[in-house]
Amino acid sequence: MSTPTPDPRALFEEQAIPFLDQLYGAALRMTRNPSDAQDLVQETFVKAYAAFGQFEQGTNLKAWLYRILTNTYINLYRKKQRDPYQGSTSDMEDWQLGTAESVTASLSSRSAEAEAIDHLPDSDVKEALQSIPEDFRLAVYLADVEGFSYQEIADIMKTPVGTVMSRLHRGRRLLRGLLTDYARERGLEATAAPARGSKK
Amino acid sequence: MNNDCGCDKARAELEEYLRNEICRTDAADIRAHLETCEGCQSELHVGIVLTQTVQRACKETAPEELRDQLLARLRTVAS
Repeated sequence: MSTPTPDPRALFEEQAIPFLDQLYGAALRMTRNPSDAQDLVQETFVKAYAAFGQFEQGTNLKAWLYRILTNTYINLYRKKQRDPYQGSTSDMEDWQLGTAESVTASLSSRSAEAEAIDHLPDSDVKEALQSIPEDFRLAVYLADVEGFSYQEIADIMKTPVGTVMSRLHRGRRLLRGLLTDYARERGLEATAAPARGSKK
Repeated sequence: MNNDCGCDKARAELEEYLRNEICRTDAADIRAHLETCEGCQSELHVGIVLTQTVQRACKETAPEELRDQLLARLRTVAS
């Protein structure tokens, strides 16, 4: 085959390597530990490089890389790790998912809740993310951190858009409940009237 | 609860609204509702803060060694 492309490796490095930080962040949320995350990212890039000829220039490279990352993760890690939640996420009852969105919540308590969540340390937020079921976590990550559209997430996770939406709703609800709990434990009282420690 | 003031629809689709995943007509309906409903406004605000908090917490930088190893590995794969 004669391709007029210059040097494929140079092109790959120029286009794909800039996504390294982002893919590493996603890999950390998937594997939950830095050394597995590094391995996963390496595998992903090596595979992506090998398949780079099939990537259609001008289409969404980030989404393409995330597809490979997700596939690699599922094939390499999920099998051996045996996620305790696997297969059970869709069977979870609503009561297990908590009722973060309290219909009776007053205005002031909701704004205090927002303020409390905003003041949580990153470590709490990561811990909360780690503790929600994997499918939910991944959907929330892809939508809210990476800004992928529902359709792109559906392609990455190989599920219908409706499933993506339900994972997002449930994942967000769980996350909000956990963060509100953490805030309460830290004394960032979500129900207290004037939010404390509002500014440093 | 407020059944026909638009809260139900707004609450159900607030997340989609936040992510620009609903059609223009629905978005306009929700926007109009939000202008008059403080309850839904505060709910939207919690949603926005939640998104920003997660984004902030998840910012990572790949270790230098990973970058180096990866570039080195790509070079061996190539040759």
